[in-house]
Amino acid sequence: MIEAIQRSDEDAAACLYHRHIDRVHRICYRIVLDSSQVPDCVQEVWMKVFRNLGRFRCEQSFAAWLNAVTTNTAIDFYRRHKRRGKPVNLDETCTESLLAEQAEAGPQYDDATIRREIRDALEEISVNQRTAFILRYFEEMPLPEIAKALGCRQGTVRTHIRRCLLSLRATLAARFHQEVQEHGK
Amino acid sequence: MENKRFSLEEFAALFPGRFESQEQLLREYKSFLAVLEQLDQTSVPELSGRQKAEIFRRSWQGRRCDWSRMSAWLDLFKRPVVAFAAGIILGCAVMFVALSPRSGRILPEITSVAAAAEPPLTIEHIQRTQVYRGKAVERMYPQIENPQIVVEKTRESAKPRRVLYGTLDGGEIYVVWNL
Repeated sequence: MIEAIQRSDEDAAACLYHRHIDRVHRICYRIVLDSSQVPDCVQEVWMKVFRNLGRFRCEQSFAAWLNAVTTNTAIDFYRRHKRRGKPVNLDETCTESLLAEQAEAGPQYDDATIRREIRDALEEISVNQRTAFILRYFEEMPLPEIAKALGCRQGTVRTHIRRCLLSLRATLAARFHQEVQEHGK
Repeated sequence: MENKRFSLEEFAALFPGRFESQEQLLREYKSFLAVLEQLDQTSVPELSGRQKAEIFRRSWQGRRCDWSRMSAWLDLFKRPVVAFAAGIILGCAVMFVALSPRSGRILPEITSVAAAAEPPLTIEHIQRTQVYRGKAVERMYPQIENPQIVVEKTRESAKPRRVLYGTLDGGEIYVVWNL
């Protein structure tokens, strides 16, 4: 299939794309954290994949190569957009739920609220730490593959994951505790 | 109680030597499981079929750009065999151009430019004195090193005095010869 795509076979490219698009989208979504920017990031990943497929060697694992391309593109994309100071776009459903929640007396954590809190907590963590954690926990990638994708050693990946977990626990605990107190007043 | 994607063993490996007892390890692990459970509640919204199709269309079209072709060519030349062959071909082409009869038009121009850079005779005027030096003077007095003829007048109406200056024997003997 790879060789067919290298010969500009569009059907083969579509087949490969549909086989892996959901995973690429998931990784981009969790690294970029801005739902309005994610499609652009995913497009950038696939453009790079189609352009650089000639450099892929068939003896490698395509999934691992794709993971590395996706991860690095999403990290670059995130840094570029963060530097430009683009505001993180809240989903409409999320905003609505926040407004609705404010009107209510008690703290009720619906999906949108929890998603927002977790996304904000993830946003506070450095992108490398977050990416290492996302790849390990959500994508269940082995540590050597994460290390290869991020261009660092396995020990560094472990440190990233540990720091991410500690930050997440501290941030989420503080956020939910604060909300409970605000609703309690 | 254990998370399939984040086992107790992996947790212990992430925090080596941090916990004093097994109870403390389990307590901490459970606190992290609560965080992970919260993370598991968040799902990634899927792309619609239309969005997927649009992303594919743009990516597939966007792959065709000049720099990608250039990079493919550069990759080709990174192969030693191709680079060696290209070097041979380029060398032959340069030699062909340099040795072809048409290139004769270029070479004399280059040599004449080099020759023009050093004129056969230079004349330096200092008030009523003229100093002649260069290849023409050297040809006239081949045994004298750095020869120069100085023609000077004490006043405008006076008869000029001609003197040849130079050296002999590698600069050991200074020559002043009234002509």
